[in-house]
Amino acid sequence: MTTFSVLLSGVGGQGLVLLSNIIGEAGAIAGKKVVTGEQHGLSQRSGSISIHLKVGENIRAPLIPIGSGDAILSLEAMEALRYIEYLKDGGVVVMNRRIMRPVTETGEMVKDKNRKHMELEDIETRLKQVTPHIMVLDALELAKDAGNPLTENVVILGALSVLEAFPLGPEELKAAIGKLVPPKARDANIKAFELGMKAAHERFCKDLACKGIPK
Amino acid sequence: MSGCEGGSRMSRSDVVAKGPGKAFMMANEAMVRGALEADVKLYAGYPGSPTSEILDTFYEIHKEMDMRMEISTNEKVAIETAAAAAFAGLRSMTSMKSVGLNVASDSFFSIGYVGVKGGFVMVFADDPYAHSSKSEQDGRLYAPAAYIPMLEPSDPTEAKAMVKQAFDLSEKFGTLVIVRTVTRVNHQSGIVELEPLKRTPFAKVKWPHEPTRFITLADKARAFKKIILERTVKLEEEFERSPLNRVEKGEGDTGIITASAAYNYSVEASELLGIRPHILKLGTTFPLPKKLISDFIRPFKRVVLVEELSPYMENAVKAIAKDVNPAIEIIGKGTGHFSESLEYNTNIVAVVLASVFGKRTPVDYSAVLERAEKLKEGLPVRPPTFCPGCPHRGTLYSLRKALRGVKHVVATDIGCYSMSPLAPLHYGDTMLSMGASLGVAEGLQYCVEEPVVALIGDSTFMHAGLPGLVNAVWHKGNFKLFILDNSVTAMTGQQQNPNSPIHEGADEQKLMLEDIVKGLGVKDITIVDPYDMKATPVKMKEILTRPGLSVVISRRECALYGDRNKRRKGQAIIPNEVDAAACKRIYACVREFHCPSISVDANRKATISKELCDGCNECGQLCPANVIKPSGGGQK
Repeated sequence: MTTFSVLLSGVGGQGLVLLSNIIGEAGAIAGKKVVTGEQHGLSQRSGSISIHLKVGENIRAPLIPIGSGDAILSLEAMEALRYIEYLKDGGVVVMNRRIMRPVTETGEMVKDKNRKHMELEDIETRLKQVTPHIMVLDALELAKDAGNPLTENVVILGALSVLEAFPLGPEELKAAIGKLVPPKARDANIKAFELGMKAAHERFCKDLACKGIPK
Repeated sequence: MSGCEGGSRMSRSDVVAKGPGKAFMMANEAMVRGALEADVKLYAGYPGSPTSEILDTFYEIHKEMDMRMEISTNEKVAIETAAAAAFAGLRSMTSMKSVGLNVASDSFFSIGYVGVKGGFVMVFADDPYAHSSKSEQDGRLYAPAAYIPMLEPSDPTEAKAMVKQAFDLSEKFGTLVIVRTVTRVNHQSGIVELEPLKRTPFAKVKWPHEPTRFITLADKARAFKKIILERTVKLEEEFERSPLNRVEKGEGDTGIITASAAYNYSVEASELLGIRPHILKLGTTFPLPKKLISDFIRPFKRVVLVEELSPYMENAVKAIAKDVNPAIEIIGKGTGHFSESLEYNTNIVAVVLASVFGKRTPVDYSAVLERAEKLKEGLPVRPPTFCPGCPHRGTLYSLRKALRGVKHVVATDIGCYSMSPLAPLHYGDTMLSMGASLGVAEGLQYCVEEPVVALIGDSTFMHAGLPGLVNAVWHKGNFKLFILDNSVTAMTGQQQNPNSPIHEGADEQKLMLEDIVKGLGVKDITIVDPYDMKATPVKMKEILTRPGLSVVISRRECALYGDRNKRRKGQAIIPNEVDAAACKRIYACVREFHCPSISVDANRKATISKELCDGCNECGQLCPANVIKPSGGGQK
């Protein structure tokens, strides 16, 4: 089996650590080696957060070398761009369309009337200079459809999981979700995962190598 | 000490699983598992990133595992508490971050002298890159300074195994054993083999009653010194044969000597470049196995030292090479190939190995970084900041308002409020170490013309602030101390401290800050509410005009901690909302306040994210137009 490496990013409080635990647990269930390294420092506090993750046999260090990651998974659009140096040319970006405005940007906006927000289109244009494969989802909307707005992280994981190169299957991931989320949130999380998969299949699998659609 | 929590983990049940089996866990959890498999009986510690999850895990499982556990007031108390168990003959453990060992070091050196009976293991973690620390100090240097053996794991599997072995070594040689990690090991998760858990019931033991056995002083100290020098020789002999050190045979005339996380990067970088150098992977880094190193480097033309921070192994290898292979080229920090600062990764090591072996890296890393730099132009930074509802935001707002127009000097301290010097506030003048705000404020009030303010959190005050306050009372220090009381040790994951609310059935007793401060002789004590944006600045302003030492306790529980309690009790968090039509774009809710749940919309009107808002309603009090209210007309 070849190695698959993904940089997970988002904003402190979005549930990134749970997401990496789900992938790790799914690896344990599938008998595949998973290594993760959290690079959060002080960033729990609404700061930028990233986790390096690798699945495969021949892996040791969790840190992804510059320009070598197979994918970036981001729960917030700006945070996908923040870690772009880790993605290989032609890698996949799976990201939430949600933008959470940092206090620094808001502070500048009220100081300078001419300053504009960084918008999603601008972020996509920049990302496209590294890869054409950008999957943008409205995870918050899908999470709400699943019955719990806090399941954005699992929506995005569902989308990542459709990639043919991603070595863990939906059953293992769902089993890991079942084990790690609180029982009362289980159904919504499984639904969120499935909605993420479905959205990715419908919108992105024409141009990307994807797994078959599970029954 | 400072640092941040590693996030809540769900693998506690794996940590206490009967075994055998496999589990995905963080190295910090794996080390706890290793200690449990070694039948550890007592743990004491103080949280500090990147080791906090060790303490958190023990806190959750100690009752079930029938062992004694304390969150100590500081690392020095922790190492002493755990050492005492080992003096009595029970297996014990402590953990701390790099700078925590500075606090514990006085007793640490003495423990090196007097030794132990029961196994005693200390995990301490350095933080290359200073992810969540105030320095990149290299704690490895403590081991030779105190003659205490040191093991260094590279991953969760080794971390668990080494903790277990450290207990055996500790008892065999009668000494504390260090398991030294770096952030990238502590916060690395992977799949770990669980061996069977065979816990024995906790039972008190009889004190050995050998008078002066654990006393070191003068002639006793000189006698101990002889013993520890002999012990170090024996440990080195043991380590020469230890499977914790291994040679991975490669090809050619170049070797790599490495340890810890840097070992992983060395192997991965070699694979990336398609080279097969010989690798000596060291697991015992004090005492270093000099004979093993000699045998390894003897036949080579070149040896590359891959280690983060100081050239600790490199200097030792240079000394060894002088005798066994003076012609060998030693590539490392001395040759400028590697840096003593920041942390390493596979690409950094790959660039060095590529130059040594005449290869090309598969990716032009600097070109990728340069392109990324351009792509990120104008991307706003997102530094860590106070959470929505954080009481520190209110305290700092009120303090700055009270002192508006008055030049003043702020000695701050270690905790979440250490973020105030970061963007966007940039507030604070000095910060050294836990409790230092008080000593620094004392010195400043003698020497500077401006009024002096000291800031300290409740946990840090209990940790190392008390002697500074006693000193200030004694010498009639003239400054204002603000104790930011949020009830818990918030930064590292909201652990309990002596000032925390005591839950039902707890063994500890809550200590009231105002009682302590009064007991220490402070006459002027005021308690304020950081959520009261109208009254608190006025009160603070008045206090700041008073002469002499004043203590202000700004009291509200940590928002993360409070929200968790609310959710547990089924209480709703009612977010605030802005009446956008009525918003006059005054931005009082943004300027000087900087809450991550408040931003501006396309019409540049203030807007509040209801997913993020904590419903503290501080911003509502700031709005001159009075257009920010709890949503749904609800009352906070």
